Amino acid sequence: MLQVKNLDFNYPNRGFVLRSVDLELKPGNIYGLFGKNGEGKSTLIKIMAGLLFPKSGICNLNHTQTKKRSPKTLQEIFLVPENFELPALPISTFEKINSSFYPNFSNEQFYGLLEEFQLHPSNKISTLSFGQKKKVLIAFGIATNTKILLMDEPTNGLDIPSKSQFRKVMASAVDKGQCIVVSTHQVRDLHSLINHVIILDNSKVIFDHPLEIISKNLWFGRATQDMGEVIYSEGPFGGRSILTRKNLDETEVDLELLFNGVLQETQNINQAIKK
Amino acid sequence: MDFDNSKPIYLQIVDFFYENILVKQWKEGARIPSVREVAMMVEVNPNTAIRAFNHLQDLEVIYNKRGIGYFVAEDGYAKVLDIKRKEFIEQNLPDVFKKMGLLGIGLEELKNAYNQHKNEKK
Amino acid sequence: MKQDFNLQRVIHFIRRDVTLLKGTWTTGFLVVIVALFLFSMLNMVWDKELASEEFLGIFGLCYIPLGLAFTFSVFREFGHSNTDQLYLALPVSIPERLVSKWFSTTVLYTIAFSLVAIVVGVFAVTVGIILFGVDFSFSAIFSEKYWTIVGTYFIIQPIFMVGAITFSKNKIGKTILSIGILFLGFFLFNLVLFVLFNQGLGVFSNDGLGSVAFDRASSDFSLIGRWFYGILFGPLLLVVAYFKMVEKEV
Repeated sequence: MLQVKNLDFNYPNRGFVLRSVDLELKPGNIYGLFGKNGEGKSTLIKIMAGLLFPKSGICNLNHTQTKKRSPKTLQEIFLVPENFELPALPISTFEKINSSFYPNFSNEQFYGLLEEFQLHPSNKISTLSFGQKKKVLIAFGIATNTKILLMDEPTNGLDIPSKSQFRKVMASAVDKGQCIVVSTHQVRDLHSLINHVIILDNSKVIFDHPLEIISKNLWFGRATQDMGEVIYSEGPFGGRSILTRKNLDETEVDLELLFNGVLQETQNINQAIKK
Repeated sequence: MDFDNSKPIYLQIVDFFYENILVKQWKEGARIPSVREVAMMVEVNPNTAIRAFNHLQDLEVIYNKRGIGYFVAEDGYAKVLDIKRKEFIEQNLPDVFKKMGLLGIGLEELKNAYNQHKNEKK
Repeated sequence: MKQDFNLQRVIHFIRRDVTLLKGTWTTGFLVVIVALFLFSMLNMVWDKELASEEFLGIFGLCYIPLGLAFTFSVFREFGHSNTDQLYLALPVSIPERLVSKWFSTTVLYTIAFSLVAIVVGVFAVTVGIILFGVDFSFSAIFSEKYWTIVGTYFIIQPIFMVGAITFSKNKIGKTILSIGILFLGFFLFNLVLFVLFNQGLGVFSNDGLGSVAFDRASSDFSLIGRWFYGILFGPLLLVVAYFKMVEKEV
């Protein structure tokens, strides 16, 4: 559905932020886009939304370049940026003036989500905290029912109960036809939600696999010596490790461990998955 | 050294189902929450929840009525009981036996402890 | 391409701007209403009548600056780093954006302002009749002068539109500065051309002939110029604005 091919990007007079990036995003998935700060996550998301133009290569949504910003394409993409400001209007007015641009917008869903987030339609947006504004935009984004929903660090600025609310809302929101991309450097916040991991490092995509394949091939946990081939280990004696799974029981993918492991042992982990 | 077999989330959801069925919270033949509701309840990707549903369907603990939802099988309780018994005998007991051997606890001692526990409960 | 221009979306977009800027615009209009009224009253105290010429003078003084301020206000979202992402991600094409911004800050604004001006004018005259016994002479507001003022606004507005799109800080100042530089450029260009073509006439040695030539040159130019600015310059700048928006990255 969303196709990124051989994409390069750099800001004027600076080195590459993204280099030969290839991605193919499919409906029905929640993609986790991970990377250290400043590794080009936001840049990639902005390119997907058509807000930045690739220096070379392409970014297509259903065979149309997103940088053309044709309404037909933009109707199928919603972006929740990391930083934004909303107008000083009541939430319901904000919905009225913006929702008409999205053909699949669901009023019912939007107001349902607001309730879930404990916000009232008559609340004036200017009186809300940043976290609450973020919730308004997340609710709006989900209710647009666009094919692509891009979220840049959505859990930044949310307190702990709100993060749980966010996960609940996201879990209920995914539709089979929808493709969600969530970028974050706080791997833990989303661990149970995503089902595909993309890791950016040194301006490249160094890891791109569905969780299912990862848990089929890798084992996560505290390993004993006789368990098998350790690919990556954290801490000294008895630390959490990544092993090739072979005959071991399936374990839950420890995203934080995987992330650190991939940054250190990129090749070995990718090889273990491809076997 | 303790194993950290942090189970895959879908299996933890399966366990959550087993428990509800065993304590008769979900009775046989009764309708259970939808995939979406379960995903929301435990804050997971609906795909993960679907995996748990499929797993239980394969074991014939639950069944799907097209367009209506999922239901606990008529012999669901018996099935779960069977599964959990097997799990206990095949997985939990060997660990217990291993520890008993290591600590030199005999069968007689175990029996006493068991009886004591039972009496205390009464 | 057919998908790229949808009248329904243009209407939604205009409605969106009006809702967003309701506060700003109301304040602007209130200030203007007070100004128009006070000027009219002062004028009537002076000569016991409110000629439409005089009223239109005041009208022009308020109408053009306020319109330009509105033009900048509709591009506020576009230029601010906290709002531009959401703004550009809205599924509205660039032609639709430009048409709706242009329409709301020219046609819609002119109609609204004219209505406000008429109401204020009639009210001022009524008060004038009661207070100072002025003659009722408020009829010909849609005179030639009115259309000249409106025409001028329609011609210079696109320049400010481009300015509002191009500059991210101190937009108004930079736009005026650019216009100044452009104007100076045109002036030098004209002067060079004038000196080149009229060298044979000895413009600068013979004062009498020179002034005739200058008059003729400027009247010729003003005719061509009027066409140039009126028909070409405005739309040309709208095209510039279009490309400025297409190329905008955030």
